[in-house]
Amino acid sequence: MTVDAIPAPGLLPTWNGRRPADVVTTRAADLDGIVTLPIRELTPWLPEPIWAPHPRFGRTDVTEVRRRTRSRVEALDWSKIKAGERVNLLANPHGFALSGLAYVAMLEEIAQHVRAVTGASVRLRIAESMGHIENPDWMRIFDLQRRFGDARECPQIGQGVEIDTRVGPMYLTRQLFNADHVIHTHVSEMREGYLHRMLDRLFKPFGMGYTRLETRSAYHFGYGPRTGQLVARAVFDSDFVQQRYVSTIVLNTSPEGVVDVDADNDLQRIDRRVATDIFRNYAVLIRLMSEVKDVTVVFDGHGNTIYSYAGGIPFDVLYYSNADWLDLDNPALYSVLLPESMRGMLGPWAMGANANIKAYVINYMAGGVPYMYLIKGVPTFVTSPQVMDWLEQDPSACWIRDAAEGTEGLADGLRRATAIANSDNVLVYDGLPGAMHVSESLAEQLRAAAPRVIDDVENVRMPKWLAQRDLPRVSLTSAS
Amino acid sequence: MAKRVTMVAEIVDANCTGCNRCVLSCPTVAISMRRRRSDEPGPGRNIAVVAENECYNAQNCMELCPDDAIVMRSLDEPILVGVLDTEVSPEAIGQLCMQVGMLPDMLVCVCTNTMAGELAEAILDGAHTPEEVALRTGARTGCTEICLDPILRMLAAAGHGDAARNPRNGYQWYGIPGRLMDFVGADGLVDPELVAAYPHLRLQKDVNAMVFKMDEA
Repeated sequence: MTVDAIPAPGLLPTWNGRRPADVVTTRAADLDGIVTLPIRELTPWLPEPIWAPHPRFGRTDVTEVRRRTRSRVEALDWSKIKAGERVNLLANPHGFALSGLAYVAMLEEIAQHVRAVTGASVRLRIAESMGHIENPDWMRIFDLQRRFGDARECPQIGQGVEIDTRVGPMYLTRQLFNADHVIHTHVSEMREGYLHRMLDRLFKPFGMGYTRLETRSAYHFGYGPRTGQLVARAVFDSDFVQQRYVSTIVLNTSPEGVVDVDADNDLQRIDRRVATDIFRNYAVLIRLMSEVKDVTVVFDGHGNTIYSYAGGIPFDVLYYSNADWLDLDNPALYSVLLPESMRGMLGPWAMGANANIKAYVINYMAGGVPYMYLIKGVPTFVTSPQVMDWLEQDPSACWIRDAAEGTEGLADGLRRATAIANSDNVLVYDGLPGAMHVSESLAEQLRAAAPRVIDDVENVRMPKWLAQRDLPRVSLTSAS
Repeated sequence: MAKRVTMVAEIVDANCTGCNRCVLSCPTVAISMRRRRSDEPGPGRNIAVVAENECYNAQNCMELCPDDAIVMRSLDEPILVGVLDTEVSPEAIGQLCMQVGMLPDMLVCVCTNTMAGELAEAILDGAHTPEEVALRTGARTGCTEICLDPILRMLAAAGHGDAARNPRNGYQWYGIPGRLMDFVGADGLVDPELVAAYPHLRLQKDVNAMVFKMDEA
């Protein structure tokens, strides 16, 4: 299949006032040899989106998202909320980044319904994360103050509240929970799968996004490779959260966009329902990333390294693809946290530092997220002095100038990177949903590998993954 | 490792209301408040003041400021901070690391590339609060998040778990969260009640992985 080239998504003004579109004039997608590879070509069973951020992949109006949200929330039990009470509608920046107006529409419909049926006041509270100050300014881009009245961003560095949980004290972001009730929202895409391992996936914000620095740090350092989600479960199950929690509403996504809206008062029930869809819509693509060999990775959009997306798939999937982290028998350890002296012994169990990533080119990338460990030892090129300055000013990347080399623009950077990689394989993370910008060579390799990966996933791996989680069987080839 | 500081916080006096949030969030406690003078027009009685040599470009202050009263100013020349030069013995460093289940060459602050051993060295050399550890090593002045739990645990293991928050109502850190190893007995087994509460999580196998018994993980 050949498709018309789709340009990279535009670069937006950032929260801290940068205008990357004025600096980054050449995008990787515009270079000769970079082609647009539709995800549907690799995984043709994907359900049709009810909303897509690009018209090539589906309708871009939010009418159906609004209709389904209304239908779902009307079926929920809101009796816990009394007139005059305060309700925090919890949101996250990834929802705005990945599902844009669809996420906004879902949040608006929830707020309107809850106000109408309960008489409570509903405030939008956005759980911020690392990288906030260099992210697009969602409050202004989507005019959230006007839409919601009371809307606030709540950073994880702000005031906290200590709560008791089954595993000891945990610390949450106070602003998110200073209400009589909270409504949890999410987007089901597959970021940080290597952390949550598709266990209690929709619970994860209770262990990370809604928590303060201490709790997030403990998630990484205080738990094993398959049990970080114990933090999420313990926080969610705590009296503090249970007294406030009312319901969960989720944008169910595929790599192309939004495929459904789901809602439930029971978080465990909706988590299991959505999990089977996630396996159907993402699992083959996750494994397909392990087929990418000798590749130059180009960062050319918002997001930072592991939170950058290509065709709706985050970069962390490629970075950690040397381990099958969906297999719960696999105790793979994060390579970044392995002591240097133990690496030789523990190498076979290391997850990350994918040796098939031969070089990085940074055309534009937001900061605020640690990534120096990720480029360590891998030739890295930055395509303009301004972007190099921005990267170096990032609190999390003060050593970037020692680790990366400036180039005479993007084409020069890509030429030098592919020469070192000794391969034409290029994969661009520019945030385009539904299709990847890749070199022709990599497109061919992915097309060739897809049937074998599909067979392996459907007949060998997936039955095991699902059985490990007591989930119903998923067929990739029959209708969902 | 250390940190290369390329920017420092600068207060926009005319916008500063003296709300104090920058003071409460700075990981190196580089910001304090002073009285606004009568010849300084502005919205509040107090104005924030940055101790430039203690500003390590964490930018928490700018993120929390509700009044656009903090900008980050580029330095003409970067400043290197957090370089350790002590006489603490490797044995003492190793012992303190082991007390919190780490090896000295384990990366902890992924932003500044600071190892567990460097944190232990700073603590054993007199850094007795998270803020002093940050000033001595540069750690926790990047994302200010990933490394916080190990730093708090290491301070507690060294006998400084009672360090007072600075300022007293600061947001820099609150306390040490619970962790899985708190539920492991001397026999290496996880509390059966916890296992029963979350049977779908492989708690025992993950404990084995955390102590590198990979064949039993």
